[in-house]
Amino acid sequence: MTSQTTADGAEFGSLYPFLYRDNRPDESIVDEVCRSIVAKTREITALREDVLARDGARLLDCATAVAHRFAAGGRLLAFGNGGSSTDAQELASLFLNPSGRFRPLPAFGLTNDIAVITALSNDVGFDLVFSRQLAALGRAGDIAVGLSTSGNSENLLRAFAEARRRGMLTVGIAGYDGGKMAELDSIDHLFVVRSDSVHRVQEAQTTIYHVLWELTVAALTGASGAVAAHPDGNG
Amino acid sequence: MARASTDAGAVRVLFGQRTAPIQHLAEQAGQIADACRAMAARFHDGGKLVVFGSGEQCADAQHVAVEFVHPVIVGKRALPAISLTGDVATLTGVASRAGFAEIFTHQLRFLAEPHDIALGLAGNGNHDDVVRALAHARQLGMLTVAMVGADPVTAPARLADHVLTAHSADPRVVKEVHVTTYHLLWELVHVFLERPDPLASGAVA
Repeated sequence: MTSQTTADGAEFGSLYPFLYRDNRPDESIVDEVCRSIVAKTREITALREDVLARDGARLLDCATAVAHRFAAGGRLLAFGNGGSSTDAQELASLFLNPSGRFRPLPAFGLTNDIAVITALSNDVGFDLVFSRQLAALGRAGDIAVGLSTSGNSENLLRAFAEARRRGMLTVGIAGYDGGKMAELDSIDHLFVVRSDSVHRVQEAQTTIYHVLWELTVAALTGASGAVAAHPDGNG
Repeated sequence: MARASTDAGAVRVLFGQRTAPIQHLAEQAGQIADACRAMAARFHDGGKLVVFGSGEQCADAQHVAVEFVHPVIVGKRALPAISLTGDVATLTGVASRAGFAEIFTHQLRFLAEPHDIALGLAGNGNHDDVVRALAHARQLGMLTVAMVGADPVTAPARLADHVLTAHSADPRVVKEVHVTTYHLLWELVHVFLERPDPLASGAVA
């Protein structure tokens, strides 16, 4: 199993010798599962290429705008539901406490505090859990980042409206066709991962925010002084 | 224009860094299938999935749990799974009293049962908390599955029954490969569960 072989069907046997090592009772299922794994790894690689082609330049623009906000004292507030809530937490933690020798930046995940989430859900409704927090925590120079696979989560739509109202820079990361997030005029930078698979969408979204972080940190600390040279370009 | 084209090149390089580690994951298809089959057997027998990881893997542990408990695909069974990273009071309490390396092992002692599955996630570098918890889970009789990075420090000889590796020195890429890996685990566990014959009568090692 060397990495120089491609995962073409003709090389299936050499890639997966265990399939032919013995006669398992469920060989056909294992075979099917392995083919499915290979197909899905190809899907995600093709999807990342698609994201790069569509949004590579826009990611640079967004990172520049985000970097300007941080340079001016802004903070990043991230939010999402379900699996996307874990992405929001990861995104915030990546800015706040990056591994390696990178500059930490102020960032907070709006799903980190279960007391706040359940209090707001119980008292004013789940649709308002993020917008209410932005109203309490958000400042004009801050950055709001919302993640959704469908693009239709009501609490995100309301959060973007609130963020826009407060003068925050707004970044949306969605999937499928962008859903209702694609219809909003309250999102400054919207990235849509165009896939029908929720899993592949999440995987490509993870790359988007990792690359966004890396470009932002580079813009803030790069020798070119890119941010300082363009103080008015904050999105 | 010159600067713009350099920057565009930088973005392309960043995306390109994701390709080889995913191909490496495809080459582990056999190990992934084995892990799914063994996990399906534990679920079939009433076991639950217990997931843990610290730092960059903390949110992943919760993501794995929600995948299994609340399937995104209509018609798929909800399967029992818990993350050990959600209880911040216990995590910080154990870390303060017994040391950080004990944060998951302590919880396993009281929340896990021998027929359960332990899934530990670790990036590059030292993860004594995860390594120790996997060793304890193994002693307990749990099925043990580990997702690790490329750094050999994190992978002692017998870290777990099933070890799936993300081959990258970049912790961000490691995480992305892990996300694909656990999405595959979730989906393919269901493939085995929906055809339970091979899971019966001790067919799974």
